[in-house]
Amino acid sequence: MRMEKSHENYKELIWMLVKTDFKLRYQGSFLGYIWAILSPLLTFAVLNFVFSSVFARGNGAEYYPLQLLIGIMTFTFFSDGTRAGLGSLVAKSRLVTKIYVPRWVLIFASTMNTGMLFLMNLIVLVIFFIFYRFLPSLEAILFFVLLVVLMYVVILGFSFLTAAFYVRFRDLSMIWAVIVRALFYATPIIYPIQVMPEYIQKVILLSPIGFIVHFSKESLINNHFPEIWQFMLFVVASFAFLFIGIFIHKKTIKKIAENI
Amino acid sequence: MKKKKEKKEIVIKVENISKAFEIPHERNDTIRSVFVNIFKRKIFEKFKALDNISFEVKKGEFFGIIGRNGSGKSTLLKVLAGIYQQDAGTVQINGRISPFLELGIGFNPELSGRDNIYLNATVLGLTKKQIDEKFDSIVRFSELERFIDQKLKNYSSGMAVRLAFSVSIHANRDILLMDEVLAVGDSNFQSKCLSEFSRYRELGKTVILVTHSVEIVQRYCNKAMLLRNGKIVKIGKATEVADKYVFENMSDEERRLSKEMHKKEKGVKKTKEIGRKKAVEIKGIKFLDSYGVEKKVFKTGDDMSIRVYFKKYKDVPVLNFGLGIYSQEDFYFCGFSTIRDKVNTKDFVDKGYYQVDIKDIPFAENVFYLKLNIAGNDLGNYYDYVGRTKETFRVFVNKKNPGNVNLLYNWDKLKINR
Repeated sequence: MRMEKSHENYKELIWMLVKTDFKLRYQGSFLGYIWAILSPLLTFAVLNFVFSSVFARGNGAEYYPLQLLIGIMTFTFFSDGTRAGLGSLVAKSRLVTKIYVPRWVLIFASTMNTGMLFLMNLIVLVIFFIFYRFLPSLEAILFFVLLVVLMYVVILGFSFLTAAFYVRFRDLSMIWAVIVRALFYATPIIYPIQVMPEYIQKVILLSPIGFIVHFSKESLINNHFPEIWQFMLFVVASFAFLFIGIFIHKKTIKKIAENI
Repeated sequence: MKKKKEKKEIVIKVENISKAFEIPHERNDTIRSVFVNIFKRKIFEKFKALDNISFEVKKGEFFGIIGRNGSGKSTLLKVLAGIYQQDAGTVQINGRISPFLELGIGFNPELSGRDNIYLNATVLGLTKKQIDEKFDSIVRFSELERFIDQKLKNYSSGMAVRLAFSVSIHANRDILLMDEVLAVGDSNFQSKCLSEFSRYRELGKTVILVTHSVEIVQRYCNKAMLLRNGKIVKIGKATEVADKYVFENMSDEERRLSKEMHKKEKGVKKTKEIGRKKAVEIKGIKFLDSYGVEKKVFKTGDDMSIRVYFKKYKDVPVLNFGLGIYSQEDFYFCGFSTIRDKVNTKDFVDKGYYQVDIKDIPFAENVFYLKLNIAGNDLGNYYDYVGRTKETFRVFVNKKNPGNVNLLYNWDKLKINR
């Protein structure tokens, strides 16, 4: 129907939205960007203080603080990313109702923004690794990067799936907040997965966030990787989820401007 | 100047588009009602915002869409912009469209003017390189050089609008969609904006403007379309469409006023019955146009007559009549009295009404009520008196000057179009 695209370059638009959100996030706070790093660090400090004595020795929890930090940071990426993606269209409602910007751009931009925060957190992680004089193997680092990419795929899938629904059912954000909190404890972050009975371990590894957090820790600290078939299955499942998300998104997005 | 008349290119072709909104009949506002109604089929009322609309806009036209609130004009613009998807019909657009219906989309009060320019322009589809090139020109047009590095929240609303407008005209599209943006900004800036729009036409660009200002349509648009309840009432030359719009509004207004009057009359009668019979009583008022047709809405410059009916119950030797015109905010415009004008009222007494004919109504747009009195020789002793009539009449103006009256005037020897 429409002959021309409205924007030459969606890349620039997305980048501008990400940059602005990032700038605005800590606007007016005294410490500014430092908060991006500080808030997961403080969570880490508290949890480390409480649990390091419990899980310090045995149970395959060497370098507990490092494991905890990896867990917290990857999980924060997941929780922030899904929350931002869920609310992306509502948060930028003026860009939906007053102008035509492809809606996927908005979803993409808001999840990218949490991706940026995650990258900043990684710097802290590196500093901690240096502090503990711990060097993961090269393949472990590459594998971790792969997991992060898959995490983003899952976040995107979730965002596409839910963003349009959220416009009509605002309860979703409350429900999701509760689920995320439950997931935090259902994911091997503060505890090593080995403390769980075998069958529960299997259930945990079925959840994408459980899988990613567990194998991030395992690969970086213990240089231990999932089976090839296990990993391939996860890759396929993540992308399938993304495509389902996009498919549903296309179905639900049509009347978005009227309902927002 | 080239005078080659080419067949003008069609840039927007809209065919039979319809758009309906679903308004749920009952809302589930409480958790209880959600559970109660969960198995019920939801009933929606279909509201047709656009009903089978077709039109074309040619290249270089300044196209106005005019209509009252809820006539569907904004919905139509949103369909053109791609924000809404139409239920039926096709929209064809040749050329790059500026897809914004409001100024300053994406503006953030916490960012500086400079950052906001980049943000807004990117949202409007400019690349960083283009913005860099146009930046100075954008700032110059907005006249905000001194404030450009201040945060937007420290701008006055007028300044923010200037900045926003400046960015949007630099977006440089072939087709510009605008929704009611001209209501803001001081008059100086407004005229600057509108002349900028006119310049667009010379550049061969197309402007589509949604407004309910008759004046703007008449002055700037060359074609226009009048919408009413989602249907096209008239499409054609801007001046003709604007006239039709004024006329439509008048008839709407008449209906509303007469309905209101009807309601009030009922209330009045009851109280009157209680009072004792007067010697002379005012019975009713009619506002008539020059053809003697009853009306309640007039245009400035029309002729009108005000006729007041009365009834004599007792024999009184002499009757004198008075009439004052007040605006709704109780401003006394003028008054007439048969005593002051030394009129022989015998004729009126025979007819049972008195009448004042007014030539060329000089009032500016307003609603007026009357003060009426009937007295004998002595002005201090009224037979009947109405301090504020329930009946009102309204005056419309095509061209608005500020103030209470609309005088016929000329700038020295130059003729003004009125």
